[in-house]
Amino acid sequence: MNNIRNFCIIAHVDHGKSTLADRLLEHTNTIESRKMRQQFLDTMDLERERGITIKLVPVRMKYKAKDGNEYVLNLIDTPGHVDFSYEVSRSLAACEGALLVVDAAQGVEAQTLANAYLAVEQGLEIIPVINKIDLPGARPEEVLRQIEEVIGLDSSQAILASAKEGIGIIEVLEAIVNRIPPPSGDPNAKLQALIFDSVYDNYRGVISYVRLVNGRIKKGQLILFMATEREYEVEEVGFFTPSMSAANELKAGEVGYVIANVKAIWEARAGDTITDAISPADKPLPGYKRIKPVVFCGLFPIDRDDFPHLREAIEKLQLNDSSLVFEPETSEALGFGFRCGFLGLLHMDITVERLRREFEIDLVATAPNVAYEIVLSNGSVIEAHKPSDFPDPGKIEEIREPYIRLTIFLPADYVGKAMKLCQDRRGEYVSLDYITTERVRLVYDLPLAEFIVDFHDRLKSLTRGYASIDYEHVGYRKSDLVKVDVLIHGEPVDAFSFICHKDDAYKRALSVIKKLKELIPRQLFEVAIQASIGSRVIARENVKPLRKNVIAKCYGGDVTRKRKLLEKQKEGKEKMKMIGKVQVPQEAFLAFLKADEEG
Amino acid sequence: MRKDNLNYSVMPLSESFSWALSCPVSLYVHIPFCVQKCPYCAFYSVVPKTGDIESYLNLLDNELKMWTSLTGGKIHAQTLYVGGGTPTVLSSKHWEQLILTLERYVNFLPLLEASVEANPGTLSLGHIKLWRSWRITRASLGVQSLDDAELSWLKRPHGAYEAADAIAALVASGLDTSVDLMFGFPGQTIRSWHRTIKDCLKFGIRHLSIYELTLEENTPWGENPPEGLTEGYPLYRFAQWYLPKRGFIQYEIASFSLPRHWCRHNIAYWQGGNFLGIGPSAWGYLNGYRYGNASDIKLYADSISRGEFPIVYEEILPNEKAAAESAMLALRTMWGVSARAFRRKWGWQAYKKFLQVWHLLPEDCKKTIQGKHAFSAKGFRVANSLWEQFL
Repeated sequence: MNNIRNFCIIAHVDHGKSTLADRLLEHTNTIESRKMRQQFLDTMDLERERGITIKLVPVRMKYKAKDGNEYVLNLIDTPGHVDFSYEVSRSLAACEGALLVVDAAQGVEAQTLANAYLAVEQGLEIIPVINKIDLPGARPEEVLRQIEEVIGLDSSQAILASAKEGIGIIEVLEAIVNRIPPPSGDPNAKLQALIFDSVYDNYRGVISYVRLVNGRIKKGQLILFMATEREYEVEEVGFFTPSMSAANELKAGEVGYVIANVKAIWEARAGDTITDAISPADKPLPGYKRIKPVVFCGLFPIDRDDFPHLREAIEKLQLNDSSLVFEPETSEALGFGFRCGFLGLLHMDITVERLRREFEIDLVATAPNVAYEIVLSNGSVIEAHKPSDFPDPGKIEEIREPYIRLTIFLPADYVGKAMKLCQDRRGEYVSLDYITTERVRLVYDLPLAEFIVDFHDRLKSLTRGYASIDYEHVGYRKSDLVKVDVLIHGEPVDAFSFICHKDDAYKRALSVIKKLKELIPRQLFEVAIQASIGSRVIARENVKPLRKNVIAKCYGGDVTRKRKLLEKQKEGKEKMKMIGKVQVPQEAFLAFLKADEEG
Repeated sequence: MRKDNLNYSVMPLSESFSWALSCPVSLYVHIPFCVQKCPYCAFYSVVPKTGDIESYLNLLDNELKMWTSLTGGKIHAQTLYVGGGTPTVLSSKHWEQLILTLERYVNFLPLLEASVEANPGTLSLGHIKLWRSWRITRASLGVQSLDDAELSWLKRPHGAYEAADAIAALVASGLDTSVDLMFGFPGQTIRSWHRTIKDCLKFGIRHLSIYELTLEENTPWGENPPEGLTEGYPLYRFAQWYLPKRGFIQYEIASFSLPRHWCRHNIAYWQGGNFLGIGPSAWGYLNGYRYGNASDIKLYADSISRGEFPIVYEEILPNEKAAAESAMLALRTMWGVSARAFRRKWGWQAYKKFLQVWHLLPEDCKKTIQGKHAFSAKGFRVANSLWEQFL
């Protein structure tokens, strides 16, 4: 156990994490150079394309150190995005140390900080690596100072490297061996294995990636998943080299995989503890929690015949993604589809993109919304994922919405603009400090609902792309929210209702019904479009009754002429949906599903 | 079902078809000539050159002869309508020839009505005299407006004064006189519209047709629309209010008349009567079979001279569609759809379907009196939207 080192790499997007991992694989001869390809550990095309890591792929390397001993180095890669911060924390929990990679030109960014803090929280030994020192814009001294002053780490032992040029790689390997402590734990104690990820394989079922904390696990053993209380017999255990290779047993301190004929991924969730079913450990390892989706959107196939296909595809993705939830939904404009819940915007984007690419389904994703908590007058709490989940206003005691703590790193010149944006989005100021004279760290608490509506894009354009952000979920807070209903000719239309802050209700209601007024054609009677909160109407527009009606001549007994004109006219209206007696065109629904374009 | 060649293929020589031809029909004769093309007009017509009219009258003679070869005797016509184009572009002499042709092939014994269309610029006393001496009972005059500014904007070849003269002459001759008016011009107001209608009524006309200026495809204005058209709706509504006060009944969506002075020929169109259309771009309907002649005098002439019918469009609608169409046509008139007759003709299922749609229409757009479903005055105003429901 003394020559095992378990570590991970944490870095902001683009700071060179995957390239560094590639170099380590090469230097330890884990992968022959000719089989090497870029971002080896990122298995999905999407990851390579976006340069981000979504799924963790652990790898076991053998390294002969300068002290003459051979060490087993287990690299546990981590996703770099905050949507997956729970997975990050589970991965960190499986390690004793972390490489903190910082771009020598960019310096400390928002995610660097968040992840470094997570690592500190887990008690990890942190080795700062200043990467890309070969770049012309590299400012290693400045970055070292930031590591010291902003993060608060001792920078004297930081390693200067260029993963791309292969500079500093040996130093990194030596530091892993010398500075990261070997795992502690007792191979003879009761089995406790931390699942830090699970994937689904079509042939083998669920494969759990584990870190053995105490005890041993081997083929034929009866095991218990402590959170889900499921019992299975182990079929195979083994290591990642980086492909899976079977072994006799895994013991305390080691990282590997367990296959136990588990059929569904939710039975073996990240963070759960595997123990022996016959002589179980007293308690599971700490830190497990069931993560709940916070962002929701509707997914609808463009071709309605694709609906069963879409269901199959989402079910397949869910096999591999226990945080994805979905339920069937019907939309006036889009027909049958699903309302899906995600950990965040990136998780949503990736899922939609995978459905498009891997399953070749053309689909429409509606504007995202958040999950609300509603305290009813009888004291019970319900969760609402869409406006129609909201009960009658009279029954609502209080509404809570999810908040995030948003950290923005940006040049000092743009602070005013960024603060204004946060204020406009109902942000609550937390702190502002100068990292350098030109660079500022700005922290706000922001309702998630305000964040998911193009906040990041706005911020990027306001700061010309110089801002980096990170956020963490800080739970639900009471908010002065109202549900605004839209009534067409007296009929409430679910598809048009929305949730917003009380102070924004009038303005948004007005913009919505104005838009509808343009989109709903004149009918045979006057149509009222109203926006109401409960029974109180807050805004109203009227669509004047139809007048244009051509009384044309009948040409030489040609009655087909009129019929054909009417058929043409009808064709245009065919795509309309009847709301009570009113014909509403699809565009109206579609316009509403897209994000609001205000001022 | 538009065809590439001019050969008719569907014309059914079935019993019901022959039966239709042996019974009295309505006969439409198209005169495809005008002294000029009006920019809004989509009727087929050309400006005649010397000799064109004579040869056309010969072609008409031949086409009628072909029809009589199917009937095995003269065609029985209960109404006649000579329209255009401009039938008054034909001189009295031409008219004499046309009358001879008609008498040769048509039996007018049960004749209820014979109408001609006339234009103020070309109408002569000679025409009127001839018509009166023959079987013509009714004349429809293309006045369009009694306002000189509006007429010149429309590029009509006549002025208000000429139009007034023509109305007076027709009424004086004892012909049942109808006037066509148009609305929706730029700058037209209810006052100017009222003046035109009132002035027309002063002459003692018994029938009035009103049409909204429509920009049709394949017309100069259809390609380059004029600007500033007035919305027609209020003008139409005014006519609906004003004319009944003067004793005129709106018996059809575009037609008002003193009681029983309706145009029976047009009613045949709306009520599913059989009619034969003769001449280029004319349409006919015989017990479910509908045809359209070539809208081109050259194509028309070619096929007639080959001894073939100049038919380029034919259709026999399936029962359900035919029933819906018949309901839409009947709803143009104040008599509307008779529940009993409709059921008998199209069947119980078709009637049920009709009722399903009928019940969806707004209450103030319809009325049902003694088993007849008809549009109200408001219903006529928004008829397009109502009809659409039946498709």
